[in-house]
Amino acid sequence: MTRSMKGLVKALALGLAAACSLAAVSGATAEELSLKGKRIGVSAIGTDHYWDLMAFKGIQDRVKELGGEVIALDAGRKDQQQIAQLQTLIAQKPDAIIEQLGNLEVLNPWLQKIRDAGIPLFTVDTATPHAINNTTSNNYNIGAEIALQMVADMGGKGNVLVFNGFYSVPVCKIRYDQLKYVLTSFPDVKIVEPELRDVIPNTVQSAYSNVTDMLTKSPEKGSIGAVWACWDVPQIGATQAVEAAGRNEVKTYGIDGSPEVIKMVMDPKSSAGAVAAQQPYEIGKTSVDNAAKYLAGQKVPPFTFVPSVLINKENAAEKGKPFLDAAEKAGVK
Amino acid sequence: MSATVLHTEVGVSDEKQAAAKSAGRRFGALVVRLGAIAAFAAIMAYFVIFAPGFTSTFNLINVVEQSAILGVLAYGMTAVIIGGGSDVTEGGIDLSIAANMGLCAAVYATLLSMGYGDFLSVMAAIAVGMAVGALNALAVVGLGILPLLATLAVLNVAAGMELTLTQNTVVGASSPLLGVLVSGSFFGISALAWALIVFSAVMIVVVHGTSFGLRLYAVGGHPEAARAAGISVPFYVSFTYVLSGFCAAVASILTVSRLSASTPGSGELLLSVLAAALLGTVFSRRFVPTMGGTLLSVLFIGLLANGFQLLNVSSYWVNGVQGALILLVVAITSFARGSEGSR
Repeated sequence: MTRSMKGLVKALALGLAAACSLAAVSGATAEELSLKGKRIGVSAIGTDHYWDLMAFKGIQDRVKELGGEVIALDAGRKDQQQIAQLQTLIAQKPDAIIEQLGNLEVLNPWLQKIRDAGIPLFTVDTATPHAINNTTSNNYNIGAEIALQMVADMGGKGNVLVFNGFYSVPVCKIRYDQLKYVLTSFPDVKIVEPELRDVIPNTVQSAYSNVTDMLTKSPEKGSIGAVWACWDVPQIGATQAVEAAGRNEVKTYGIDGSPEVIKMVMDPKSSAGAVAAQQPYEIGKTSVDNAAKYLAGQKVPPFTFVPSVLINKENAAEKGKPFLDAAEKAGVK
Repeated sequence: MSATVLHTEVGVSDEKQAAAKSAGRRFGALVVRLGAIAAFAAIMAYFVIFAPGFTSTFNLINVVEQSAILGVLAYGMTAVIIGGGSDVTEGGIDLSIAANMGLCAAVYATLLSMGYGDFLSVMAAIAVGMAVGALNALAVVGLGILPLLATLAVLNVAAGMELTLTQNTVVGASSPLLGVLVSGSFFGISALAWALIVFSAVMIVVVHGTSFGLRLYAVGGHPEAARAAGISVPFYVSFTYVLSGFCAAVASILTVSRLSASTPGSGELLLSVLAAALLGTVFSRRFVPTMGGTLLSVLFIGLLANGFQLLNVSSYWVNGVQGALILLVVAITSFARGSEGSR
């Protein structure tokens, strides 16, 4: 699909070039985005996770592709550092700032300061009123789809272990709320209280021990039907824990599509039930395109959704491969 | 003690040789120390010349503001090292200080979000911070546990309590005091920057301008001599740990103001706090920690991150350079210590 799209873009570009040379027009057209002579600040809360790294890379590659200069800042998962970086960035007065993930409560006052300084703000996966555009996946869809897949696999009844440590991260809030909404239609599917807390760092180890503890607490087979997390790194630990405990009736569900997790879903013997795979690299690139369009005076919608794919046990062999190929191409494992 | 034994047993010529050796080492240490300061100066000069906007008042105030939290914590750490002696393994150290700040921030933000006012919430945060400091004092002075181990244990207690309180989540907070700290500005300098300036002035005056500070140095440098002079060593050492807890509480209020919330992960600051306190020693001729030296190294760490960003050098380098500098300083101090030991 992506290949045919590329072909289409190429054909369009060729056609346009021909049209331009015919008419001898030298102005920038809608398709010829450029960031020549522009400085774009990029601030990410961290890049220790596959998704974050791919999106961060996508942004930087695209800015360079369009001829712009990029000021790339990785806060190493430290709020304090991200705020300091944003503060200095504001003083540097770039032509636009792209902000990627983080705690909204912490960020919002500073995103406001970016706008107050007259710098156009774009966000990746971060819904905030201060951004001109937020480029992301359709998390409302993703949240509902993964929840429905889980309910279907469970046969409409059973208990779910839910990791809910990052409700303050906007995308996690949406996915969790969608899960809850789907479950209102399936009263026999119950979330085990208290919910589990996923953490950063040591996400996998911590998820592993949390799930192991819960399985020990409910030793009868079938007492727990699924494990859900709003991203897929806890899913790795959960899947390993389920398998180590020999509780293969429990399936795990997550979101993002890290190569490791896609491979798990592709493995028929693995307990990973499904993962909603996003295209973080494309998301990063698209946010830059939006910034470029805005700087060229074009209208930009408040949000842009980049398609995602639900990979489950049935379609994994076919749908999983393009994502693994994309990861390999970007050189991120 | 071993030195006196040495004096009585070795011959005069040996002693001369030892003295010459020690003088050589001391000269070497001086060279390395000046070299370190020259490296600091060279980095700064490079930023001044090549980093766009580095010297603008706005940028420099930003850096002071960004250094406030680290600075307040580093003063606490410095006080502990002064009072406990700067031996890296057996001397004073407070590994719990950053985790303590996290706990105080959690207490402060939680109380605010429950509707208690600024006064009560601030008092509670300070009480918790000092209580954690007192726990350190009890473990170190009362039970005689090595500070390195005692404060490591207390670190875990504080981090665990923070997690229990916040469930590892972000606790949003807003209050009149936080409003002033965030957006207040006097004479063109932001409130957070003022906080660092005032706190620095108080610390420098107390530690370097009073007899109290002099006794503190005596306790850390020569506990036996201090005891012989009638100074209560346990009191002074305990005091430094409680002061360190107080600093953690003050820093916690600054951090909640800056992040509009208490967030998990405060413990990450520990490395920078240690770096600041240790780096500060190169600004002293005898390689002892001083408040002024700590202030300079806190600002240096802040300027380092700032300069790299302005130069568009990857932020990953900051950690590397910081680590390299710590290694350098620890090497220099052990070098200098070696010369003292063979004296």
